[in-house]
Amino acid sequence: MGQLDQRAGLQTAGGEIRASGVRHAGGPALPDEITKAGETAWAGQPALRSRSTPASFDAIVVGAGPAGTTAALALAQAGKRVLLLERGDYPGAKNMFGGMVAWCPAPEKLLPGFWSQAPWERAVTKRTLSIAAAGSTTSLIFQAAAESEAPTIGGGATSDRSLTGLTLFRPHFDRWYAEQAVAHGVTVLCGCRVEGLVRRGGQVVGVRVAGPDDIVEAPLVIACDGALSLLAAEAGLHSGVKAENMALGVRALYALSEEEIDARFGLVGREGATQEFLGCTGGVRGGGFIYTQTEALSVGLVLHLDSLKAQGVAPYELLERFVASPLVAPLLRGARLVEYSAHLLPEAGLRMTPRLQTAGLLVAGDAAGFCYTNGLTQEGMNLAMTSGLLAGRVAAEALEAGDVSAARLARYRRALEESFVLRDLRTYQKAIDFLHHDRLFTVYPRVVGALMEDLYRSDGRPKEKIRRLARRALKGELSVGQLVADIFRAGRAFV
Amino acid sequence: MIVDDIFDLVSYRVHPEPHIRLNQDTCRGCTHRACTFACPARCYTYSEERERVDFAYEACLECGTCLLVCDRGALDWSYPVGGCGVRFRLT
Repeated sequence: MGQLDQRAGLQTAGGEIRASGVRHAGGPALPDEITKAGETAWAGQPALRSRSTPASFDAIVVGAGPAGTTAALALAQAGKRVLLLERGDYPGAKNMFGGMVAWCPAPEKLLPGFWSQAPWERAVTKRTLSIAAAGSTTSLIFQAAAESEAPTIGGGATSDRSLTGLTLFRPHFDRWYAEQAVAHGVTVLCGCRVEGLVRRGGQVVGVRVAGPDDIVEAPLVIACDGALSLLAAEAGLHSGVKAENMALGVRALYALSEEEIDARFGLVGREGATQEFLGCTGGVRGGGFIYTQTEALSVGLVLHLDSLKAQGVAPYELLERFVASPLVAPLLRGARLVEYSAHLLPEAGLRMTPRLQTAGLLVAGDAAGFCYTNGLTQEGMNLAMTSGLLAGRVAAEALEAGDVSAARLARYRRALEESFVLRDLRTYQKAIDFLHHDRLFTVYPRVVGALMEDLYRSDGRPKEKIRRLARRALKGELSVGQLVADIFRAGRAFV
Repeated sequence: MIVDDIFDLVSYRVHPEPHIRLNQDTCRGCTHRACTFACPARCYTYSEERERVDFAYEACLECGTCLLVCDRGALDWSYPVGGCGVRFRLT
């Protein structure tokens, strides 16, 4: 299979990966590395360890996720010397995602044919949103036309894959992507934890990597260090990530044969499906999900952290109940649990967007809070890659001009405002806020369940029109005033 | 429960030193002890006999939940040393 061949190719395509043996006994960790074939500058880390070595890089990118690798690649293609630092011992080692990336053109601009070459699992043609109540489940199913998953779609810069997101495994995807960056001249250093920024005269001039004496300098740093956004906080671009702006994702990965997944979800070829659930989180604001990989199912919950804290319930207990529920259990019959993971997601949209630049520093991806759900779509990786592309381009131009001041780097924010990244966050800000109302996750699933059950019920008694049924479904759950207020909110959020 | 089998389900390269330190003096007096249930890896447990929250870092999934639910600032929090900690698989 092409997919497997691509994975095997990870070992050879333009670079060399050594993933074994980080040494830490009796001394500081010596990072493993991915270097360009023939490039040995980082063996033993001499440059990294010397404070007096003049900066040999134009830019340092922190974090080899989708944002960081895109930024590094954009810089390298503009002829800049880039160091990409990753704390995991390979790119993707720290990433539990395993969900669906919404298609976006950003990486195609750097690597033509990107989406036809990247190691993805299934092209999602079927998306289901299910509202779970005690006695029933009501679903909305979106199905893209047949053949929209065909591998030729999305193969070129002009073709359209906009209806089919791709499921993928980040340990595969991030590693493959970083290798492409290596082939374009990026120096990728893995197993390297960035501990903080180096600042001089109010300007960021580098990063501390292994201890107070280990620094590496460059005129520009791009922080793509993930959801906790520690570097941007250190730079004073925000005052620390807050629980009320974040969600916790917990995920169990189940191995199941390709044929069984195809049969259970009604899929053909490389088609994939996603299913999202409301009303399955024990009263905690959040939702459940199932994503189909080629031979695995990602099953999990996303839970608003402040709500989880207030409810006093453990995420793994909710996950356990979800997995055992009639919604999910039949889909997992005979499947083997192979991995468990957890990660934080930024969830508050523009309310949590930090300042995006200061002298010598740009912030992209999750670290900039570029991740959201509006209730129907969950987007993050596409925003990460697009913000990484724009950060890399603005950075390259700034380096060219010899001006990395905050004023110059503010062009990054303007570029984001013209792109779908900040526009979508603005468009859906009210939807994002709407999703922070408890009722949506507790009362409404019950009301929808009661109403739909009455509509379908046949018990020998005369039927009633929807208005009467709705009144009964709402009884004891919600006042008319609350309902009107919520309809108004939903209208402002989506209409 | 899934979390009971965390060491079978997740691969780690455990560093001999913890990457998160819990300051017991600051922790004492917390009424919600949210870390003991919110941590998805169940790294924090309340000990009735010692009357304190105990912390074990080995199963940490490096998500940051504990850092955000602790409102007393009792945690000295960092990611593990480069190359250490959780390693999600190339499944």
